[in-house]
Amino acid sequence: MEVTFKVYRKEPGEGTKPGRSDYKLEVGNDATVLDGLLKIRDEIDGSLAFRASCLRGYCGECTIRANGKSCFACTTRVSSLTQKTPEVTVDPIRNMPVVKDLVSDWETFLWNKIDRIQPWLEPAATPANGESIVPDSVMADVRRAMSCYYCGLCDEGCTVLPIDFGFIGPAALTKAYRFVFDPRDTKTKERFKYVEDAKGLWDCVHCFEASEHCPRGIAPTERIMELRDKAFQLGIQNPRAARHHYSFVDSIKKSGVLDEGKLALESEGLTNVKGLMHLLPTAARALRRGKAPIPYLHPKSPGAPQVRRIIEKAEEKNR
Amino acid sequence: MKYAFYPGCVSRGGCPELYTAATKVAGRLGIRLDELKDVACNGAGVLPKYISDPINARTLAKAECLGETLMTICSTCTGVLGAANMRFKADPEYRDQINRDYLAEEGLEYKGTIEVKHLLWVLFEDYGVDKLKAEVRRPLRGLKVSPFYGCFMRRPPEVVTPTKEYAARKSYLENLIDAMGAELTDFSGKGKCCGFPILTANPENSLAMTAKHTGEAKQKGADCMVTPCPLCHLNLDGQQAGAAKAQGSAIDLPILHLPQFVGLALGFSPAELELKRHLVSTKEVENQVSMLA
Repeated sequence: MEVTFKVYRKEPGEGTKPGRSDYKLEVGNDATVLDGLLKIRDEIDGSLAFRASCLRGYCGECTIRANGKSCFACTTRVSSLTQKTPEVTVDPIRNMPVVKDLVSDWETFLWNKIDRIQPWLEPAATPANGESIVPDSVMADVRRAMSCYYCGLCDEGCTVLPIDFGFIGPAALTKAYRFVFDPRDTKTKERFKYVEDAKGLWDCVHCFEASEHCPRGIAPTERIMELRDKAFQLGIQNPRAARHHYSFVDSIKKSGVLDEGKLALESEGLTNVKGLMHLLPTAARALRRGKAPIPYLHPKSPGAPQVRRIIEKAEEKNR
Repeated sequence: MKYAFYPGCVSRGGCPELYTAATKVAGRLGIRLDELKDVACNGAGVLPKYISDPINARTLAKAECLGETLMTICSTCTGVLGAANMRFKADPEYRDQINRDYLAEEGLEYKGTIEVKHLLWVLFEDYGVDKLKAEVRRPLRGLKVSPFYGCFMRRPPEVVTPTKEYAARKSYLENLIDAMGAELTDFSGKGKCCGFPILTANPENSLAMTAKHTGEAKQKGADCMVTPCPLCHLNLDGQQAGAAKAQGSAIDLPILHLPQFVGLALGFSPAELELKRHLVSTKEVENQVSMLA
């Protein structure tokens, strides 16, 4: 079939203007987008740059956007994209600086972020026989996280990265999970210090986009939620996140339901005058509309004592 | 039709107008709400699972005692309670352990027999959109409305769309806008995060997300936005002024709670639905609606 590939083009260097090149080509009915890109490079335009390696959806190298949707070029059939028009637009994945054409800068995008979480195992002294025997069941979820091949699709779908490129992102946090939950690792608390840094774990909005985009079923959002639970259990080190989370649980313990006013004040810090002043304009507007929750005077749920008993027991069991 | 009603903390705190509108709309449609009054906050994704699962098992057990589907009016409550319910149903051993360790002392047990549904899902799956259309007394003709779901009404798929028959859940809001006689103003951010979960951790990013979505809908021509999530409302409405200030240009997009939007089409007045409690003025929407009366 005849198809037109409309491919994003950009020369290296800052300030170069991106454009789009159209290539008309003949491809087989079962051709993939990567087949098309290879044909363009080999037969029409040798200057087109893209990444690819295994050609079978296993290495995660050829991540692109085809007709606006992120995918692997090597497992996406051209025919699945040309049902309406015989055209395929090909773009680099979002949230990543472009080096040239479809090749993105993985250094700043991912590797530097993964570096932040100290991605190596810190075991205790090597056992005498040289082996650390770990029960298989304990490693099941860790192994799943280890199967990540850094295709970048979770970061590509991330809601925070388009707003703040400095955010560590779900791929690096999944890497952190891989070490935090490895029973051989002995530096969990130290690792959390880096994971909880500014623009780290607590900047994730847990929107589940990362899980929806992950082609390996690793479910990065769920892994991030487990990291948060672990941080809560060990003692949150990020002061702002700590104030927010422990005020939240204190509120539920006291009244069964959330005292939103108390949470807002305590999350800022009761002695943080500047932070409290920031709350004033919204609080004043809400007061005028008769909807500002009054802190510390929140009505209790009749079930509050039972809820408190359950929470204290859960905390005791997970101490 | 009757439901174990879980109003959630925000409808009893920061967005009391949501509770008013939901109970009024349910009453008009003949949906009986048996409010669960002695249950806890579900943790909203802030509390760790080892705390939220036991307290949510207690809530689900209370609904099960009534023999009714648990109905929420909050995307986040739906997502967190729904995910806990899924775990309890999928793993009877885990459920037994939670029952034994936490609920037995109170004489409660959750058997894993009930469902968790948002009002939006109830309207389409139990009540029926044709029946709802028949109740419309004031079609909202000419009102341009953008949908905003809230993350938990879109993801994760195992909770929101566990089988193919639930796939339509991802377009209920658009269908509702049409059913109420209003005009859909679609935009790319409708299924994205509003930014509320990081309002404390990173207010700059949170406000930027709010500005992005409300700004895009406004720019596309929306008169207002409708959301089934009061936490989204806290950001999209409550923080909109701050978001506009941060980006340096006004937005002024009224944000309606789902039952307020349905309520207007059912013939309730803006005052009855407490639109005046919103931080972004709803005056323009009220003017448009008054001309339809």
